[in-house]
Amino acid sequence: MSDVQAETPTVADFARTFRRIQAEIHKMIIGHEQAVEELLSALFAGGHVLIEGVPGTGKTTLVKTLGLALNLSFNRIQFTVDLMPADITGTRVILSGEDGRREFTFQPGPAFCHILLGDEINRATPKTQSALLEAMAELQVTVSGTTYRLKPPYFVMATLNPIEMEGTYPLPEAQLDRFLFKVRLNYPDEGELTRIIASTTGPDDAGIEPIFHAAEAPERIEALKRLVREVMAAPAMEIYAARLVRATQPQNSRFVTDEARAVHDEMVNRYVMFGSSPRGAQALILGAKVRALLDGRANIAREDIEQVAVAALAHRIMLNYAALSDGIDAAHIVERVIKSVRAAKV
Amino acid sequence: MSFPSQDKRADEKLRQIIGRVGSVRVRLNSLAIQHAIFYTLAIAIAGGAAVFAGAYVLTPLVFLVGSAALLVIAVIGIAGAIGAAWRMRASAARAAAIADDRAELKGRLSTIVALAHSENRGSLWAYLVEDTLGREDEFAAARIERRRVSRGIYPLAGALVLAALAYPISKIKHAPQIISGSGQDDLTVDLDDLHLRPADPGDESGMQVTADAATMRRLQDKLAREGAAGGDAAGNSLNQLMNRARDMAGNLQNKLTGQPAASRQRLNLRLADAGGDQDRNEIHRAPDQQKNRHSDVAGQFKQDQPKSKAELDLPQADDSRQPNSQPSPGGTGEAGVESNAGKDNPNQDDSATDRSIQQSGENSNNGGEAHGIGADPDSLFGAPAASKLGNEGFEIAIEARPVDHGAKGAGHAYVPPKVRTPLSLNQEPDEPVARAAVPAEDRTTIKRVFER
Repeated sequence: MSDVQAETPTVADFARTFRRIQAEIHKMIIGHEQAVEELLSALFAGGHVLIEGVPGTGKTTLVKTLGLALNLSFNRIQFTVDLMPADITGTRVILSGEDGRREFTFQPGPAFCHILLGDEINRATPKTQSALLEAMAELQVTVSGTTYRLKPPYFVMATLNPIEMEGTYPLPEAQLDRFLFKVRLNYPDEGELTRIIASTTGPDDAGIEPIFHAAEAPERIEALKRLVREVMAAPAMEIYAARLVRATQPQNSRFVTDEARAVHDEMVNRYVMFGSSPRGAQALILGAKVRALLDGRANIAREDIEQVAVAALAHRIMLNYAALSDGIDAAHIVERVIKSVRAAKV
Repeated sequence: MSFPSQDKRADEKLRQIIGRVGSVRVRLNSLAIQHAIFYTLAIAIAGGAAVFAGAYVLTPLVFLVGSAALLVIAVIGIAGAIGAAWRMRASAARAAAIADDRAELKGRLSTIVALAHSENRGSLWAYLVEDTLGREDEFAAARIERRRVSRGIYPLAGALVLAALAYPISKIKHAPQIISGSGQDDLTVDLDDLHLRPADPGDESGMQVTADAATMRRLQDKLAREGAAGGDAAGNSLNQLMNRARDMAGNLQNKLTGQPAASRQRLNLRLADAGGDQDRNEIHRAPDQQKNRHSDVAGQFKQDQPKSKAELDLPQADDSRQPNSQPSPGGTGEAGVESNAGKDNPNQDDSATDRSIQQSGENSNNGGEAHGIGADPDSLFGAPAASKLGNEGFEIAIEARPVDHGAKGAGHAYVPPKVRTPLSLNQEPDEPVARAAVPAEDRTTIKRVFER
């Protein structure tokens, strides 16, 4: 454990802290460099992450390791079909006082922590899934008419199992939209798999060294998050992000207005049912700001936006059946959109 | 909290960066202006050179069409060049974006320029300015844009070379057009193989055709036939338009080439069955240049000058009736045919036997249909011929071309045997009918007859 930065972090402090957290995580997580970077970017951008991956790719381990490295409180909820909202937010229970009187007392649920892992979130009913909405968006939960604040930093990571779809409840679009990034964990390649075997079947356990003291960790992380917000975005960059988002929206959508100035790609018109919401543009800029700080800059560039575009936009794009039948995924659409907007130079 | 001295230093640094971006902008805009100027000049010079060369080497109609096309292309090209320069112009923001791209500054300059006058710059503004100023060498104007002179200089240089070449090209191309007086073998042409068309005022053949009355009559007949073959009411108006266009183009060509109208040359025709009267119907380059006397060939014309494309120009209207006829471009607008009919009569001298009728194609508005045959009702009544009876000359504007159908491979057309039939004692040589003044009361009747 060491002091990483002063009270007011600088650009260099941010990059150094970020790289140290990364390094700690990779003591446990072999490979998945991009996923880890996107995960941390979402954390410092103040968003939440949806992690999609097949079983055994280290989703839960990744989240646990992050909690350990940041030295923040960490909870895990295994979503099942019989999970109730109160199992997440907490509930009022009758407790006996010292004087023998019984009264309702709020018993906080697992949502009350800094880092929350919702494992296989698509196995819970929509009602339970939506219990997370308020916590994610407002950093508060309301139980029996009483609102309880969550302590920042609050970071929700939900994992999705893309297989075994039977008996699952796909996340509603509104809830998907509340995740800043969607991170995909693919199968490790041969080299990574060999290292995973070596590191996990031996007698030594990889010791994760927390970056912050437990007491000061929340404040340090919040300071770094504030620094991210200080990164400057020129109007041209904001316009570029807006164009990217608008280009994901199909031309024939009844929700699209002022289409004359939008860049349209034929693939979008053919395969996309609904494009990204404005939250997608916010995610682009926030993610780009983190990328800029990592590059030692106080301003965002077009490259920063493009680097986070797939993570920020792919899960916000609803594809139609033609895309499913043709094997087109949202990431491919986003890449096409980037090329179209870059070429259009509107 | 920042101290005033710190703010002052930060402002100076900001001004330094903005100044660098400004110098980049100046250079980019200078190139844009140069682009517009160079390309405009290049197009104008190349177009002018092409028109100048075309004035020498093209026939008026081709010249007119080509010049018009060139004008349109030039206007489009100049508009395109100016439009491109307009698109190349750089605002401060664009100059910063270009500098960012070329120096790989990842939007630093764009952000500074965009937020320089913003109130809410954030706590990282000073860091951004400092960080950017530390890279000032990377976005110096000379590194962002090395060129001081636009690439448009190359097209301009090419246009200048083209212009320099246009003059000798025009001279080279122009020389063969002038019919040389130096003799080659005679060119014998069957009248039936001559293709006649209305005179082209800008044609540079510069010939004047003279012949005896009989020859001229045959030429007239042929011209009338060919005119009738291609003419109806619509054709007439089209011909008129074409003639006007030719005249206009010819005049322009004249101005460009500086050729005087008098430079036209004369081509004399003779009727080949004139027997021993070799003096009459002699084809000569000019009346005073009769030098070669050749055996007559019935129904054929002979030309004593080399010309692969023998074109005979006959003016369309009588000069005496069209005193305001314009000289045609290249000096050929008044080219015509002179009839030497008077030479049939040995008692008359050469000058007395010349018949000269000159028609101006421009003023007759007659196109090719009734070209020079006197059948146009609108031009029936001119001033009476000035020359005395039997001495009337005329000139008809035609363009003629020998086509060697009948004598292909033989070198000369069929030569019929000479038949000379002496006049009886009661016969006298034909006298051409002189043009006389037509009484005003008869004009309506005569005009009606010709209109029929």
